[in-house]
Amino acid sequence: MSRRNELLRYLGARLALAPLMLWLIASLVFLLLRVAPGDPIDALLGPKAPAAVRAALRQQLGLDQPLTVQYGHFISNLLHGDLGLSQASQEPVAGIIRQSLPASLELGVTALLLAAVVGLAVGFSGIARPEGKLDLAGRLYGIGTYALPPFWAAMLVQLVFAVWLGWLPVGGRFPPSLLPPTGTGFYLLDSLRAGNWSQLQGTVRHLTLPAATLGLLLSGIFDNALRLNLRRALASDYVEAARSRGLGEARVVLRHALPNALLPVLTITGITVASLIGGALLIEVTFSWPGIAFRLQEAISQRDYPVVQGIVVVVAALVVMVTVLVDLLVALLDPRIRF
Amino acid sequence: MALNGPTRAVTLSPALSDSVSAPALSAPVPAIARVLASLQCLRSGPGSLLPLLALALLLPLLAACQPQRSPSRLVVATKSRIDSVDPVKASRIGAMQLLSALGDPLYAMTADGRIEPRLATALPTISSDGLMARIPLRRGVLFHDGTPFDAAALVFSLKRFMAIGTLGYQLSDRVKEVRASGSHAVELELHQPFSPLPRLLSAIFLTPISPTAYRNHPDKPLNERFVGTGPYQLTFFGGQQVRLTPWRRYWGPKPANDGMDLVTLSNSTALFGALRSGEVDVLLSSGLEIDHEQALRRDALAGRLHEARGPALSIGFLSLLTDQPPLDNPSLRQAIAHSLDRQTISRRVSLGLRPPLRQLVPPSLPGSDPNAWPAYDPAEARRLYRAAGYCGGKRFSLPLTFRSDIPSDRLFALTWQAQLRRDLGDCVTLEVSGMESTTAYDQLANGALVLFFYDWIGDYPDAENFLAPLLSCQEPQGNRCAKGNSALSGSFWTAPGLDLQLVRSSQVEGPGRIALLRAIQRRTAAAVPYLPVWLMEEGAWSGVRVSPPLFDGSGRVRLEALHRLGPATAPGSGGEAGR
Repeated sequence: MSRRNELLRYLGARLALAPLMLWLIASLVFLLLRVAPGDPIDALLGPKAPAAVRAALRQQLGLDQPLTVQYGHFISNLLHGDLGLSQASQEPVAGIIRQSLPASLELGVTALLLAAVVGLAVGFSGIARPEGKLDLAGRLYGIGTYALPPFWAAMLVQLVFAVWLGWLPVGGRFPPSLLPPTGTGFYLLDSLRAGNWSQLQGTVRHLTLPAATLGLLLSGIFDNALRLNLRRALASDYVEAARSRGLGEARVVLRHALPNALLPVLTITGITVASLIGGALLIEVTFSWPGIAFRLQEAISQRDYPVVQGIVVVVAALVVMVTVLVDLLVALLDPRIRF
Repeated sequence: MALNGPTRAVTLSPALSDSVSAPALSAPVPAIARVLASLQCLRSGPGSLLPLLALALLLPLLAACQPQRSPSRLVVATKSRIDSVDPVKASRIGAMQLLSALGDPLYAMTADGRIEPRLATALPTISSDGLMARIPLRRGVLFHDGTPFDAAALVFSLKRFMAIGTLGYQLSDRVKEVRASGSHAVELELHQPFSPLPRLLSAIFLTPISPTAYRNHPDKPLNERFVGTGPYQLTFFGGQQVRLTPWRRYWGPKPANDGMDLVTLSNSTALFGALRSGEVDVLLSSGLEIDHEQALRRDALAGRLHEARGPALSIGFLSLLTDQPPLDNPSLRQAIAHSLDRQTISRRVSLGLRPPLRQLVPPSLPGSDPNAWPAYDPAEARRLYRAAGYCGGKRFSLPLTFRSDIPSDRLFALTWQAQLRRDLGDCVTLEVSGMESTTAYDQLANGALVLFFYDWIGDYPDAENFLAPLLSCQEPQGNRCAKGNSALSGSFWTAPGLDLQLVRSSQVEGPGRIALLRAIQRRTAAAVPYLPVWLMEEGAWSGVRVSPPLFDGSGRVRLEALHRLGPATAPGSGGEAGR
């Protein structure tokens, strides 16, 4: 079988498994939410609402029906692309996700780019002299940023740069004195499209602290990954062969060792996207960033079942998509990969 | 109205966005180049890669530049997220605060506790049997969409609220029917006489809405628009930001400012920092942690901020499970009541910001009885514990549950635990454990929590709204309440004739009512199904160049009274609140 066919078969298998995986995740979330203590009616009405009012709301939300019936409705609606209505606001869950997902993606992508640039730069910096001062500093940086608790780092950054120095806003996604740009929900893109300087300025100012915090915390992963893989690559036979052919060290590193060392980093990027959701939650809460992780946390505290289910399904779908894409990319770049 | 899809933000006035947007540029220029071309200080020549390169270099500068701020508008920050501006969905402080700027109640509570007509022109006229209330309405009032306010509009609003309101039961439990009795008069037919009716009608969630604007939403909420009669119009509603603009045809005094933006920040540090750094002009205390409140108070005392405290309408209290061992023993409950050193706890936990409370009714309301519950008396507590078989080798283990998501609740639990260890360590041990709020409320109503610390804020400022939600009972069985508010509140306690007293207290007026309310409190205090701990009042802070916030009698900041003092701040300077 040709490599192209192998790749297509692999892609087909992954895509065919994706719905099964999403169904499993959706079912698990549905079940866990119902098993977890706490009543959505308490969250909506508070503990003092009369029993009749509570019963009426329970009926209105369909929570009085048997679990199997509720599950059937959920899966049936999901198959029709309907994520349902929020129990708290009666808004369509799809609308809530459309509103908050761009905020998270904007923050996540910016942070990921920053993490990659800084992490790879730091990881690469110590390669000229292994075990030297720069290498040691890079290693410490990698361990330090990886080990820092995100909420603590975020609050520290917030206190120093926003409260004490007053350089940047403490939170939010956009200055309250302006109206946010309209369009895709990605404010950087929307303000650029509109050619509106004030909006772009406001967006960048508000994005800087959360993106920098999240990016720097993630950069340690890239730093360590590149350092280890580059060192391994530099010790390999093909690099020795290149050196023995008389190639300069810079050429050996940049043309031979680095591309091979970057392949595992690409895989790590895919995994990082998934972990971004968890890491972003604390950053989003600290910086009042109205993203999907923040919204998920609110929905969990309100026991807003449809919103929690909807967000988990969409995020799971995104993670599946990203991992398949990364796998494909790695396969395309690395001819040694077999399926 | 223009919905802008993914952001859900709703812009209600196109003219408004013009005032804050940069001028539009000619169409064929590429987007990035257009942004660069609009930079005032850093212009760049056109080139294929130059704009991108310049933009990358400029990003740090973009972040460093301070944005321009309108000198005539104010920015108000709060923690309370607002998901809906429809009165039928309003149940949280943030939504109530917003509605108080957008709508008018029929009656309003003044800061000194008086009731004054707003959209009504006089207090209700009650029929001789107490079952019919007639309310005359103000003429010449317009909704924000130009629809005249009249009896039909009020009937529409109240009926809609009773049908689909989250707090609809507050009205439908008392009012059987609402009907217009003239173009500007309505009649409320009551289930039974209800003396606090004007106070109930002062609740902002009963604010009238335009029947025209809500024509298509008679039985479902309209979350992102509000069309009422208040001093402000809602001109933008986004997830974190709400923009208010003065309603130029408002019937009452015009707002003292040119509008404001309400922003939601998700944590106390962000709120505190936003005021300190001058990002916001006014801060509402809902959601602020105590140490931040204390720091702001210090700033206010030093003249760097204005501070205002509203009427205390929220109480923190303990609920004791009275129908199961060990707290089915009234002597033990009395012992616990004497064991609580409120003064020390208030000083240590709230730094004096939450005054000790020995009654269920806030002191600002008629019917309060400041010394109803037993005072701290370790000697008496010891005697009672001893009589119950404890002290001298045997310690009573008391399990206290607190809401783990409320920082001050945890502090209360730990401080009380330490105070008991210090004062009555040989008699009682407090075993503290945290539980997330929603889970705890569920467990509370199931009778699973022996001792639980939480709080209650009345939906409207009247003693009845603090006693009935804790004490009323639908199925009394001697001193046990099998079903009703008392069970939902976790005490499961009642007493013969208590419900009749509660009903009677909401039917009579004047000194008779006050005496009855006090008698109910004394009776409850003797049985100790609840233990009031402290009083919580709303606070608000403003920068020194903004007028001090003022509260109304319902505990909400009067946003329309806020204004800048002296010359307007230079654009971009921020820094209203002293650092």
